Parts: sequence; C-alpha cells; structure tokens
Amino acid sequence: MVPIIRSEWLKLRRSKVWLLLFFSPLLAGLIGATASMTPDVDPWVFLQATVFYTHALLFLPLLTGVFSAFVCRYEHIHGGWKQLLAMPVHRSGVYLVKLLAVMGLLAVVQLLTVVSLLAAGMIEGVETPFPWGAVLLHVAAGWAACLPLAALQLAVSTAWASFAAPLSVNVIFTLPNMLVANSNDYGPFYPWAQPVLAMLPDRLGAGTFLVPTDTLLAVVLGSFAVFLAGGLLYFTRRTI
Amino acid sequence: MGNILASEFLKLRRKMVWFLVVIGPTGVIALQALNYGLRFDFLMKQYASDPWGYLMINVSNLLVPALLMGMTIISSMIASLEHQTNAWKQTVALPVGRTRLYLGKFGVTALLLLGSTTLAMVGTILLGLLLGHELEALPWKSLLIAMYGSFLSALPYLAVQVWLSVAISNQAVPLTIGIAGLVVSIFVLNGPSSLDWLPWKWPFLVRAEPMYSMVAGLLTGAVFYLLGTIHFVRKDVG
Repeated sequence: MVPIIRSEWLKLRRSKVWLLLFFSPLLAGLIGATASMTPDVDPWVFLQATVFYTHALLFLPLLTGVFSAFVCRYEHIHGGWKQLLAMPVHRSGVYLVKLLAVMGLLAVVQLLTVVSLLAAGMIEGVETPFPWGAVLLHVAAGWAACLPLAALQLAVSTAWASFAAPLSVNVIFTLPNMLVANSNDYGPFYPWAQPVLAMLPDRLGAGTFLVPTDTLLAVVLGSFAVFLAGGLLYFTRRTI
Repeated sequence: MGNILASEFLKLRRKMVWFLVVIGPTGVIALQALNYGLRFDFLMKQYASDPWGYLMINVSNLLVPALLMGMTIISSMIASLEHQTNAWKQTVALPVGRTRLYLGKFGVTALLLLGSTTLAMVGTILLGLLLGHELEALPWKSLLIAMYGSFLSALPYLAVQVWLSVAISNQAVPLTIGIAGLVVSIFVLNGPSSLDWLPWKWPFLVRAEPMYSMVAGLLTGAVFYLLGTIHFVRKDVG
C-alpha cells in the first residue's frame, strides 16, 4: 500500500491540482465577507450557513468529480494504466489509494473552507468566539458525505478517458440539488444533497445536524457501500 | 465555413455530446414536471394569476445552470477531441486558417447548445399544456427571451470556456473555472442591481432587463471570442 501511496503523491505533487483547491474556499469566503448580516441570528451560525451553503450546494460535489477525474488523468493520457498495473500491485490497492487521494484533496479543501469562514467572520467584525467544535463537526460530516460521490466518480473516471464525460455524470446528478436540497421530504435521501445538508448548521443550537443523524449515516454509508463495491468489482475485472 | 462545421460534426459522431444535448433540457423539464406533480394543487393555486410566467421562471431557474454547465462540458469535449489524440498539430497543419478553425470549434459548441435551448423551449410548452395552461395565453415574447435570451446573455461565459478549453490541455482547469462561474452566477442571482455589470448575472437578469443583458452578452461575448482567436492564432500548438 505504501509504495502506491508514494507513487500517487509523486504524480500529484507538482500538478495543477493545488491551484484547484483554492477556488471554492475563496469564493465562499468572499460571499460570506460581503453578506449583510441579520441581527437576530447568531453571527457565526449565519456566516456558517452562508459560506458552507455556497461551498457545498454545488461546488463541493462537483469538485469531488473533478478530483476523481484528475487522479486518473495521468494514467489515461500516458497509457499509464498498463504500466501501473503491470507492477506488483493489487488492482484493488491502486483503486483504494486513488480514492484516498481524492478524499485527501477534499480534506484540504474542507480545512481551507474553515479558514475562509474564520476570515469572513473577522472581516465582518464578529466578536463572539469562533465555535470550533460545531464548525469542525460539520466540516468533517460534509467531507464524509462526499465519500459515496467520490466512489461513484472514481468508477466512471477509471472507465472513461475523457475528463468531461465523468464530470457530466456528476453534473447530471448534482444540478437537481437546487431543487432537492430544499425539499424536507426528499433531500435527506438524495446522496448528492448530503454534503450540503451535513454542513448546514441547525439554527437551534450548535452541534446538531439539519437532518436526523441516523438517516444521514444510513444514506451516506449505504450509497458509499454500493458505489464502492460496484467500482471495485468493475476495476478489478476490466481489461486495461 | 460549412466545411469546417461539417468536419467538426463528423468528429462528434457517436460521441457522448449528443446524449448531453438531449439529457440537459429533458432533465430540466422532467424535474419541473416532478416539482409540479408533487404539489400540483398548491402550486396551481399560488400561480393562478400568471401560470405561464411562473412556469417559465421555474424552468429557467434550472435551465440557466444546466446551460452554463453544458457550455463548460461541451466546450471541453470539443477541445478534447484534439487534446486527447494529440491532434492539434495535425489539425492546425491542414490548409485551413486558424481563425476559421477556432470559429469552427466555437460554432459547433454554440450550435449544439442552441439545439438544447430549442428542446427546452419545446419542453416548456409541452409541460405547460400538460399542466392545463391555455396555449392562447402563452406569452411568446417572454418565452423566447427566457430561452434564447439566456443563451445570448451567456455568450461571454461560452467564449471564455471555449478559449480556456482550447488553450489549456489539462481540462481540470477550464472545468473548475466553469463550475466557479456557475456558483457565482447562482449567488448573484438575487443580488442588488449594483451588481448588474457582472456577466455572470446576465443569463438570469435577462428576464427582467432583456435588452441590456442580451446586448451586453453579445458584445462581451464578441470581445472574449476575439481574444480567444488572437491567442489561438499566435499560440504554439503541440
């Protein structure tokens, strides 16, 4: 496992992916910093809702697709699949490390989003202490909610050499978020809406989710198991 | 010009692009059909004063994001025809001016998306009739503005996407910039009118300010198209 991780790291280290990490946090922070605050809501809850909503409604799920396609790009363009899989490595190991790389990149994006939330609060002049516990919980939950999406996107990204094809699958499922995420009846069951639902704060108190925690867990873990199993089965059996 | 477009369309045979051109508008209409179907009585009562108008707003609030993403993805696919096979050198070496090559890439993308827009318009009318709205009451002018007007106002976005997709071989960059554009446009959608100068707002603004958005879209789009052409003509390919 360790050699595969090192090889992935080498491929990512000097790539343009680092540039892509900053887009969403910067944009979300900017929108948070320029939002007009409502006086009767706790300022951090308000800012968290603004910044995280901007970040997670569309950008985060779509970015999951971009990163998944990115970690497969090197193999697709240089005929690298044959070369990589001819090494004494397990296909499932290669696949899982690619998934790990995607989730690692997403973790960096999530942490940068915390920084941009903090910065937005400072620019808005919020004086109450930063609710670290609640913010980190929601950021981690949003990150975990990307797991099923990353598993599915990795499956289509290994299948298609084109960058745009897997991303269009991603867009087809993510755009309905604009309607689905606002629906109390259907939102909690739509995997692509989970990142935003997991990241939004509950207005009543810190540390709770907008949707019931057990539904959140069931939907995220259930779809993750299905997508990961499908992707692994396909990748370990396909002809390269 | 005809030759160039014919050659671009030939390259697109049996490609996924066609699926996207159809699935985009179909998906938008299907989602709205679902939205109306799930709470039919409630929405009909709420929209009784202007059923077609509200239908158009609902459709276009989903259609514009789909159109922007379509522009991003299809530009990338059209440029990838050359990127993926390392064929830019060969294409550029053909006895065709680079200006015309670029026009072909832009033209084919624009035509495909115009096709999608037309499908969306037909779909809106069909959905409206299905919901029991009367055809005589259909405000054609607003419908054309909501559909083709959005397309015209989104031309700067398209011109930038075609430019970036052709110029940068790593398609992650144009795709991420396209996604960022979509997010900006959704968040300035209800912003104050002091932000009306932002090109990302125009595809939504077109319903309220049709002339301004369409003219600004055409002009700004032309500027970015020209910049893209100049860059492509001087660029070292391969």
